[in-house]
Amino acid sequence: MLKKRVVGVVTIKNGWAVQSFGYRQYLPLGKPEHLVENLDRWGADEILVQVIDRSANNLGPDFELLERLGGLGLETPLIYAGGIRSESDGVKLIQLGADRIVIDSLLHDDLSSVRQLSARLGAQALIASMPLSWQDGAIEWLNYRQRSASLISPEIMNIIESGVISEVLVTDWMHEGKSGGFDQNIVSQFPLQNVPLIAFGGLNATEQMAILLQQSNVSAIAVGNFLSYKEHAIQKFKELLADMPLRLAVYESKWSLLADV
Amino acid sequence: MSYTTVGIVDYGIGNHTSVMHSFRDLGFRVRISAGIKVLSSTDILVLPGVGAFPSAMHALHQRDLVGYLQEQAREQRPIIGICLGMQLLASASHEHHFTTGLNLIPGEVMPLTHSKWHIGWNTVECIQEDPLLQASDGESFYFNHSFSYQGPAEYQVCISRHPEPLTSVIRRGSVVGVQFHPEKSQATGRTLLKNLVEGLVHA
Amino acid sequence: MSDIQFCKRCLYSTIHPLGLTLDEEGICSGCRIHEEKDSLDWTARWEMLERLVKPYRNQDAKNYDCIVPVTGAQDSYYIVHLVKERLGLNPLLVTYNKYFNTPLGIRNLANLRIRFNCDILYQNVNPVSVKKITRSTLRRFGSIYWPILAGQTVFPVQTAVRYQIPLIIWGAHQGLEQVGMFSHEHEVEMTRRYRKDHDLMGHEADDLMSIFDTLQEKDIWQYRYPDDHDLNAVGVRGIYLGNYVRWDPKAQHEQMMREYDYRTAAFNRTFDCYDYVDCFNYMDLHDHLKLYKHGYSKVTDHASREIRFGRLTRNEGLALVRKHEQAPLKHLDQFREWLGVTSGAMQFLMDRHRNPEFWKQIDIGKWEFNGWSARHGDEESAANESPECPDIFEGNDSLECGRDAKYITIGKGWP
Repeated sequence: MLKKRVVGVVTIKNGWAVQSFGYRQYLPLGKPEHLVENLDRWGADEILVQVIDRSANNLGPDFELLERLGGLGLETPLIYAGGIRSESDGVKLIQLGADRIVIDSLLHDDLSSVRQLSARLGAQALIASMPLSWQDGAIEWLNYRQRSASLISPEIMNIIESGVISEVLVTDWMHEGKSGGFDQNIVSQFPLQNVPLIAFGGLNATEQMAILLQQSNVSAIAVGNFLSYKEHAIQKFKELLADMPLRLAVYESKWSLLADV
Repeated sequence: MSYTTVGIVDYGIGNHTSVMHSFRDLGFRVRISAGIKVLSSTDILVLPGVGAFPSAMHALHQRDLVGYLQEQAREQRPIIGICLGMQLLASASHEHHFTTGLNLIPGEVMPLTHSKWHIGWNTVECIQEDPLLQASDGESFYFNHSFSYQGPAEYQVCISRHPEPLTSVIRRGSVVGVQFHPEKSQATGRTLLKNLVEGLVHA
Repeated sequence: MSDIQFCKRCLYSTIHPLGLTLDEEGICSGCRIHEEKDSLDWTARWEMLERLVKPYRNQDAKNYDCIVPVTGAQDSYYIVHLVKERLGLNPLLVTYNKYFNTPLGIRNLANLRIRFNCDILYQNVNPVSVKKITRSTLRRFGSIYWPILAGQTVFPVQTAVRYQIPLIIWGAHQGLEQVGMFSHEHEVEMTRRYRKDHDLMGHEADDLMSIFDTLQEKDIWQYRYPDDHDLNAVGVRGIYLGNYVRWDPKAQHEQMMREYDYRTAAFNRTFDCYDYVDCFNYMDLHDHLKLYKHGYSKVTDHASREIRFGRLTRNEGLALVRKHEQAPLKHLDQFREWLGVTSGAMQFLMDRHRNPEFWKQIDIGKWEFNGWSARHGDEESAANESPECPDIFEGNDSLECGRDAKYITIGKGWP
C-alpha cells in the first residue's frame, strides 16, 4: 500500500540553514549538510532543501549545494527548490542528484518552461510550490518576490489540472514556525480537490497532522523549523501518528552500548 | 572488506553518486564506466537510470553498450537494473514514442493505468519464491515513476499496489530489475542491494 | 567576505561561525532573542521546568534522577545549585578530564562536589590517543580543543545510556545565547546534529578516522555518540536550564562566589574573570587561535553579552575588546611541552591558520590584523580617544592557586 510521507524541510538563506518565520524573520541553524544528513539518519520520507534567496537575487539554482549534498552518501529521496529558471536548470539538478524539483517563481514568470520541464523530466519529478493564505473567505496566492497576493490564476489551475506537475506544496506562509499555526483552509479550500497536496507551514500539532493525512488529497506533510528542537523529531512525530498510513519510525543502530539489543 | 566489485554502467544519464555510495557503504568495490574492458572486470553490472526511455536507449546505443549488455546477459553475468534501468531491460517502451529496449527480460513498458504516476514509499509483495527477495517481502521502498513493466508472469517476482498491482521486481536468470530506488530507500534498500549482489555473484 | 555586516547593538557580525541573521533594523538574531529575557514570564517557565522533570524523579532512590555534566568552571555551580537545591533532584555529576587542568579548576571541582554533596564520575581518555588527536586537529583545523569538546558533550550521553539515567541537565544553550539560534520558547533540547555542526566543527569521531591516517578506531571510539537505537531505548533527553531560567552568567557566578566559595581569576585576554578558570589554554592558546581563524575572540563574546545585559555600552565593549584581544600568551610553552612540539614548529602550525581575510603578513613574524574590531569604521576616532574601560568583574584567586602553573594530572594520588 502506498504510504503518505513526512517530508523534512531544510530552509537555506545566504548559504546557511535557517529557521524561517512568516517569510520574514530568520534564525541561524547551521550548515545545510549537517541538517540534511541528520534527517537522512532519522529516516525522513523525503528531504526538501529550499534555497530561498536565489530567485530574488537572479542567481539560478545552487548547483554547488547539490554537489556537496551528493558527497554525503544520502539514502533518502532529495527534493530541491530555489532559483529554477529553465528546462536546462531542472535537467542539471536531476543530473546532480535531486530526485524531484520544486518551482515557484517560474509559475509566475514562464509557464512554457514549466511544460518543457515536465515533458523532459516527467511530471513525477516536478512539484509546484504555492505559498497561500486564507483571507476574507478566499485563497490568496503569494508572489513572495513582490510581496503581493492574488487569486490563483486560471493558467495555473490549468497547468496543475492537466498533469504537468505531480504535486503542489501548499505553504501557509503566514504561520510558518508558529506552533499549531497551520490553517486548514489552505487545504480544504484549495480550488482543485483532486490534486495531491503537500501541506507545510506551522505544522507541529499531531492532531492537525492526523486530520490532514486522513484527507484523500493530501499525499504528504512537510515540517521545517520544528525538526530542530528535539532529538529524533521525525521519529517522534511518526510515533504519535502511528494510526496513519505512514512508514514506521526507525532508530538506527550501529555500535550499541547496551548489553542486549 | 569484500572483494566483490560492482560495475555501474555510466551512459551519461542521471546521477551515480547515490548508487555508488550505497554499494561502497555495503563494503563492495565500485567502478563507474562506459568502457567495456572496465565493466567486464567487475563481478556484477548495475544499470541505473532516470528520465525518459528514448534518450536513455539513445545514449546506450551511442556508447555501443546495447550489444555488450545483451552479450553479458547471454553469458549469465549478473545485471541489476534500477528504476529506468529496469525498464531498459524490457523489449520496448511506449514512453513518448515506441522505442526498442535491451530485450533482456521480454515485456513492454507502458504508462501506469490507474494513476498518472507512482510517487512515495510502497510495499513490495513477492508473488514468486525467490531467495534473493525473500528478506524484502513486505518491506517499503521509494518509487518515483509514471511507466511500468508489463510482461510474462514468469519474469515477475514482486508486485506493488497502487492500488492496482504493478510490477516492482522482475528477473530472468542472472538479470534482475527493480522499479523502485533501493539507493534511496534507507535501511530496506541497503538490505536488498546486499542480498541481490551477494546472491547473484555467488550463484 | 566583503559583505560582513555588524549588529547595531552588540559587537557580532554576520560571519559569526554559529551563523547570525540581521533583521530589517540591523539588530541581530542574538540580541532579539536576548530581549526575551526581559519579556518572558520566568515564574511560569520555572513551573514548566518543574513539570518537565517530575516524571524523572525516582520514587525509590534506586537510581539518580538525572545527569549533570560539570567542570571546575562554566556555570557548573549554579547548575548544580538549581538541580539539587531548587529542583530537589538527585544528580549524578559527570566530568571529562581536559588535561589542561589548572589548580584552581581542580580546587573548584572538588569544592563543588563537597559543598553540594554529590556523587561524581570522572572520564579520563588515555593520553596517547588524546595527544594524537590534538596533533592532527591542530595541524589540519587549527584546533587544540576537539577532544575536550567531544568528550564533554558525549561522556554524559554515554553515561545516560550505560547507567540508564535518561535525563541530562545542561545550563545554557550556546547557540541560543550567542546568536539567537532558538527562541527560549522553542525549548530546544540536546541533539547530535548541534554537537556535530557546532561543537565538533563538522567532524564526529569516525570522520576524524577517515580524515587522518594516524588515527585508528582505538583512538577515537571513546568519542562516539551513542546510536539512535540506544538513545531511544533508554529515553535519553538533554534539557537546558537556560530555557526556563533567566540566564545571566555574571550574576550567577557572583552569587556562587558569595554563597558557595566558587573562586575565580583574572585573564589577560578578556575582562571576564568568572569563566574558563579551569583551563590553562581556553583563554590562552585556544582563544589566540580563534582570533587567527575567525577574526575575533572570546572577549568579543563577553563584551556582546554584557552589552545586551546593559552593563556595558557598545563603545565600552569595543574598547575592552581592543584592549584585550591581542594580549600575549602566557602558557604556550607548557602546551608545546605537553604535545611534544618545538617552538618553531608550533608557530609555523599556528600561522598556517591565520585567515587571510583578517591577517596580512608584512614581514617575517610580523602580521597586520584586520579582524572584526578593526572594521567598525570608527578606528580613527578610537585611536584618538582613550575610552573608559569599566572594571565590572573581579577575580578572587589565580589559576595557579599558589602552586606552579602546571597541568594537574588526574588520578595522580597525593602528593
